[in-house]
Amino acid sequence: MQGNTRRTGIMTDVHRRFLQLLMTHGVLEECDVKRLQKHCYKVHDCNATIEKLEDFINNINSVLESLYIEIKKGVTEDDGRPIYALVNLATTSISKMASDFAENELDLFRKALELIIDSDTGFASSTNILNLVDQLKGKKMRKKEAEHVLQKFVQSKWLIEKEGEFTLHGRAILEMDQYIRETYPDAVKVCNICRSLLIQGQSCETCGIRMHLPCVAKYFQSNSEPHCPHCNDYWPHEVPVFDPEKERETGMSRSNKRSLRSRQH
Amino acid sequence: MLQKPESGALPIPQAEREMDGSHDGETQPLTASQEMAPSPLLQESPEEDLGAVREEGASEPSLTPKGARALAAKTLARRRACRRLDRTVAELVQFLLLKDRKKSPITRSEMVKYVIGDLKDLFPEIIARAAEHLRYVFGFELKQLDRKHHTYILINKLKPIEHEEEALGGDGPRLGLLMMILGLIYMKGNSAREAQVWAMLRRLGVRPSKYHFLFGYPKRLIMEDFVQLRYLNYRRVPHTNPPECEFSWGPRSNLETSKMKVLGFVAKLHKKEPQHWPVQYREALADEADRARAGASVRARASTHLW
Repeated sequence: MQGNTRRTGIMTDVHRRFLQLLMTHGVLEECDVKRLQKHCYKVHDCNATIEKLEDFINNINSVLESLYIEIKKGVTEDDGRPIYALVNLATTSISKMASDFAENELDLFRKALELIIDSDTGFASSTNILNLVDQLKGKKMRKKEAEHVLQKFVQSKWLIEKEGEFTLHGRAILEMDQYIRETYPDAVKVCNICRSLLIQGQSCETCGIRMHLPCVAKYFQSNSEPHCPHCNDYWPHEVPVFDPEKERETGMSRSNKRSLRSRQH
Repeated sequence: MLQKPESGALPIPQAEREMDGSHDGETQPLTASQEMAPSPLLQESPEEDLGAVREEGASEPSLTPKGARALAAKTLARRRACRRLDRTVAELVQFLLLKDRKKSPITRSEMVKYVIGDLKDLFPEIIARAAEHLRYVFGFELKQLDRKHHTYILINKLKPIEHEEEALGGDGPRLGLLMMILGLIYMKGNSAREAQVWAMLRRLGVRPSKYHFLFGYPKRLIMEDFVQLRYLNYRRVPHTNPPECEFSWGPRSNLETSKMKVLGFVAKLHKKEPQHWPVQYREALADEADRARAGASVRARASTHLW
């Protein structure tokens, strides 16, 4: 009995509880992850100093490596909040969803995913998704039912809904990165700055390169005359400002965000 | 840092393996659709790998170029077989974790069908290694429910914590904030103007666009998350100028809590009894009666009926 169950990291009950709870939630924001870590220490090892989150997670990941899973950190595309999820490294399917949804529901998700990837804005309208209901595999699904299924996806954090349109939740982007790149190699978009998968973002009207909103915010930080990093043309979009650390109003009112999105593509 | 598997894919049951037709509306384990990319790993023709290792007797390892090549090929084949075994163990671990979340016992035949495939002669070794991973990494013990039917379950070895979710405070603070808003809405006669909601929150030190260490950005949480999750309804009040908006309970709030519960919450906040507000108390009683009458199966209909 053996196998490479032990790598460089050491697992204690602190780490195990952390993993179990992270798995239960699917995806968590950084502030919740920190609270989770604190809770696990309190339960199992209340006298120990709480390890820095990054090191804590790297330690666990070194043990998870032989299982082809990883605690992955991502950033929400709309406002740059760090999120964490436990993802399969080597899978090319949407297998994690497969245990929670029926065949026709999974196919609905796949159809929505395809529309989202193909779209220019990263959003697919409810109407367009529902119109594909007849093409679904498995048991026949009516449009009313499909609406409920889409809501199920929102509630289990696979999709986000904004004003009747759907895009991928950060969780889906983290978990399905490889699947998406391999299944839609031509349609997939990539951020010019961080090189990760891009669903929502801003694009240069001249050369077409795209950037995530948080990447734009960081790249053009305090630059009053932003220019495209690729073709040097004037950057035509409003540069968003996100900073949870600083104690000031973000200045991004809701109506601003709406016009920002419509102007982007 | 990332161990990139050579073919970039974990074994996924191929389309050729028939999916059980009896699982009609039921959820399928792991992967279900024929459209899933067939695993390149399975396409590697399994016989080749293990067969190459078995072929040892055929060619003598010698120093001739031909012998050296044969030796290298064998070593490579053996390594591939090991790696394939590792990946099957890893996939079994994930399969068991997923199945366990649904609290259904897992049968040996399911494991063979969806994960192990033609490595089924190595089942004892594979499941033993998977069990060790589950124990060491996650704190689960893989237990055989009964010897005859080969069904297994996972037992959590970590001590259960009472009210862990509340202690964790993960969703806790946010749901607490939601309760405050639901309370306000109810006490104001089942709808509250947006301005009133923000006024109450300001008194608690919560401002719409100012990052809060517990709630994140409150405006986003309330106007987007809570509305999307159907905890709150948000709509324009007709004939108001300048246009005003109001909140009311969303269908999910009606399902997950009740007027009586929310009234109880408000009462506790004010250190009074629910009866202190006779109008709301009567309404809550009527709501309780409705719920009892409607029963669980038509609850959804009842909650919209209440409006």
